[in-house]
Amino acid sequence: MMYTIRSLGKWMGGIAGLLILSAPVTMAQTSNKLTDPEIASVAVTANQIDVNYGKIALKKTKNADILKFANTMIKDHNNIISQAVALATKLKVTPKTNATTQSLLDGEKTTTTMLNSKKGSAFNKAYIDNEVAYHQAVINAVKTVLIPDAQNAELKGLLQSVMPLLESHLEMAKNMAAKF
Amino acid sequence: MTMKNLKNIFRIAIMVLLASSCSTNNNSKVQPEQSKRDTVIIQAMKFQPDTIMINEGDTIVWINKGIVAHDISKYPDKTWHSDTIEPQQTFEKVFDDSTSYFCSIHPTMKGLIMINK
Repeated sequence: MMYTIRSLGKWMGGIAGLLILSAPVTMAQTSNKLTDPEIASVAVTANQIDVNYGKIALKKTKNADILKFANTMIKDHNNIISQAVALATKLKVTPKTNATTQSLLDGEKTTTTMLNSKKGSAFNKAYIDNEVAYHQAVINAVKTVLIPDAQNAELKGLLQSVMPLLESHLEMAKNMAAKF
Repeated sequence: MTMKNLKNIFRIAIMVLLASSCSTNNNSKVQPEQSKRDTVIIQAMKFQPDTIMINEGDTIVWINKGIVAHDISKYPDKTWHSDTIEPQQTFEKVFDDSTSYFCSIHPTMKGLIMINK
């Protein structure tokens, strides 16, 4: 399944568009940079959304491969959330909701509705295709916006340490998508 | 028997004793090669090193320095495998044969153990 940058942006409630289409503009306009509290909010929200998608999969599929993948996503992304919250607490940073967070949540609503409308093999395909698109968009976001914008070295370090995990998830999702 | 002959016999006897003593010491030093422990670090979704060469009977210790849980499973059939290795936990196993392995939780992570024989 092919995704254009524009359709991906729509899927992601605009975040992919923000990050891919206008990243150079965003980076040039320092006033649009995300603050550390905003980055913490985006990071926690993005991980929570994939946990939520995994929970939908656990309810709707009986496919062993999808169940295993969904359980891994739930456990891994919950782990990242725990570490992000622990770091925010240590740094006394209160995650601050922002336009990017809201766009992510809007995208989640759309995707959740779409996933809930599917059954059986159609659901399996929709879920794993969404995992490919979602992880690709989040990787782009972390790489081109969150890491460059992060001011605190520990926050930047945590974001950098998460990248190999996200890339592994993407590769796993792509391998699985090829089977459906 | 002259005094000179007696000295020569004494010298030879000493040399034989020394040679015998050295030989005994050498034999006592020959011990089976002790098995070693090698370490593989799990970090950044990789086994580091991903290929390791060890001697038969050596132990490999995996240390999870990553941010999520992993496991160590024989590739591809999982005929042997570890329990889940949480961050900061370890797993160790003795190897007598070369084998490839992977993390069954994150199958993109693969490693190879080669035995010197």
